[in-house]
Amino acid sequence: MAANTGRFLKVNLSTGKTTTESVPEQVATDFVGGRGYGIRYLYDELAPNVDPLGEDNKLLLLNGPLAGAGALASSRWMAVTKSPLTGGYFRSVGGADFGAWLKFTGYEFIIIEGKANKPVYLHITREGCRVEDAAEIWGQDTRVTQEWLTQQHGRNTRCVCIGPGGENLVRYSAIVSGRRTAGRGGTGAVMGSKNLKAVAITATRHLQLFDQAAFAQLAKEQAAVVLNNKGFQNHKEWGTTRTQNVTNALGVYPVQNFRYGQQIGCEKITGEEYRKLRTGKFGCYTCPAKCGMAHVVKTGTYAGASSEGPEYETIWAFTGNTDTTSREATIAADELCDDLGIDTISTGCSISFAYELYEKGILTKKDTDGLELKWGNHEAMVALVKKIARREGIGDLLAEGVARAAAKIGKGSEAYAIHVKGMELPAYEPRGAKTQGFNYATSNIGASHCFGYSGQDIFGAIVPRPSDRFAEEENADLVVYNQDHTAWHETGIICAFAGGWGWVPDIFGKMLVAARGIDQLADEDHLQKVGERIYNLERAFNVREGFGREQDTLPKRMLTEPLHTRKAPGEGQIVRHQDEFLDRYYQLRGWTKEGIPSAKKLKALGLKL
Amino acid sequence: MSVTINIPQFLQPDTDEVKVAKVDGGTVGECLNDLVQQFPQLKPQLFNNKSGKLHGYLDVFVNKKSAHPEGLGRPVANGDELHIINIIVGG
Repeated sequence: MAANTGRFLKVNLSTGKTTTESVPEQVATDFVGGRGYGIRYLYDELAPNVDPLGEDNKLLLLNGPLAGAGALASSRWMAVTKSPLTGGYFRSVGGADFGAWLKFTGYEFIIIEGKANKPVYLHITREGCRVEDAAEIWGQDTRVTQEWLTQQHGRNTRCVCIGPGGENLVRYSAIVSGRRTAGRGGTGAVMGSKNLKAVAITATRHLQLFDQAAFAQLAKEQAAVVLNNKGFQNHKEWGTTRTQNVTNALGVYPVQNFRYGQQIGCEKITGEEYRKLRTGKFGCYTCPAKCGMAHVVKTGTYAGASSEGPEYETIWAFTGNTDTTSREATIAADELCDDLGIDTISTGCSISFAYELYEKGILTKKDTDGLELKWGNHEAMVALVKKIARREGIGDLLAEGVARAAAKIGKGSEAYAIHVKGMELPAYEPRGAKTQGFNYATSNIGASHCFGYSGQDIFGAIVPRPSDRFAEEENADLVVYNQDHTAWHETGIICAFAGGWGWVPDIFGKMLVAARGIDQLADEDHLQKVGERIYNLERAFNVREGFGREQDTLPKRMLTEPLHTRKAPGEGQIVRHQDEFLDRYYQLRGWTKEGIPSAKKLKALGLKL
Repeated sequence: MSVTINIPQFLQPDTDEVKVAKVDGGTVGECLNDLVQQFPQLKPQLFNNKSGKLHGYLDVFVNKKSAHPEGLGRPVANGDELHIINIIVGG
């Protein structure tokens, strides 16, 4: 019986032509699926130096080999493209049901190329793919869009779509499915640039696995392990709504555009306080954790606001960034971001950047459409969310991301643009969690906490070894480990949290074999090498785009200004040895001193470029 | 009987920066109680004030494997190595 390597659909929006192909077995062995397929095909399909928002860019939407098959927390989906925010390789991951639905059509991924001459959406069934008119939903928010598509095609329909943010080419606009988003990097703007409003799939459960019976048995084993895991039980209870309790106490909760590591008044935004506003829970396809905590505001300025969230990063994006402690404002801002289709992290950081420029007098009320951008003003913050998505007034500038906005503003504003490779930082202060910080600096997609999450820094994780969170070049091995580890986990596009629930690598590897019929996929050493191969090919993509050592840097603030942690440990910390870190990191990776994968390394990984 | 407990960095401010402690006990709970005897400031960091149970967001690993679901009642042997882990993760 032949290996089940997966099929993909290619759609050209310029011509309307669609084709279907199968993935070769060698590609499945070397890249497994998900993120591996994403970079393998993006590297081969995309010409160097194309405009990310031009007709020549391509967008891949992928599921993983386990999607839809009954495994827990393994049906997420991924968007892979060249980012309009960073100008480099990008992958962004989303939840809900779309990954499973795509699998039910018989496809593991879609390659979307070209540009439609008017707003369209794709409607995919097992019978084929049609390009449909989207005039009625262009301009609508993501909630209305998905409701309309369900009305058109029936309740067995699931979608990914963009909101006004993507249509307006906000460089950090998201792709939304249900109320879950592939938030980071501006993948929504790539859809918008192609006049593609949505991809809708109408399907019922249909699977093609190499060994269905073996997979079903493994799914039972996985459930037994996961349901008994303490990390799972905690995640089911709280999601990530309590993470700020920890990071704030440790002085790594960024406040006022990364000037402080601890927020005064944090007792108002603890997980326990958010729980008082919780009204329900939502989850992704076949995930019993249901970690999306729904919150509703019943009184006050934001009465009526409701969101499937906010989770940790979004709580921080709309508290620490502007130094506000209004839970209600975070719920309102989260709802707006999901409706309008923009990334909460980059939105919060762009607003924080504007607040600091206002404090410094670089921006004035004349520039801000009359808004008073003073720390603590949450009403101005919520107003800016709308302006960014619609590119109104100062929102048009902030929609470019902090790096481009600073370049346009000048007047020394570059010093306050907190980003790596153009992407704004998430909610872990690099000076107090340096392994995480160096992960940002060297990441293939810019400042992402999910691209090599360093649980060793602040949560005491002991695999592969514990770390000192203030150490620098001594932890280069951990950054490499975390990045490669994440890469092979994401070949299955399994939930990042679920990777720690006791079933990876053993049951995961066996599931891959049952799904694909390729025995090597059960071997952890093989998977680790797959992760390294993926990471190197993504790096090679970026090198082809002109990236190198110069771009592997934390923001100047982290290298020159001591961190103020108020009452937490780590006062005065600064990143002192970035160069030494990079030397060590490149050496461990087998790259040149300029950060370029060596011919020897590429050969060892079987990469012919 | 001697057991080693590795103190994670987030708890070291309450152990005067001590990173590794030797404790006595036949179970995880007894070992943690001995640790608290040595470093009293740790008690509220490890245990819920009302219930006396280990905080829900903490787990103890014995020889790199979770003590859950036995938790504090998990037996330990001479020479075992314990790690205290925060099971909250961000994202």
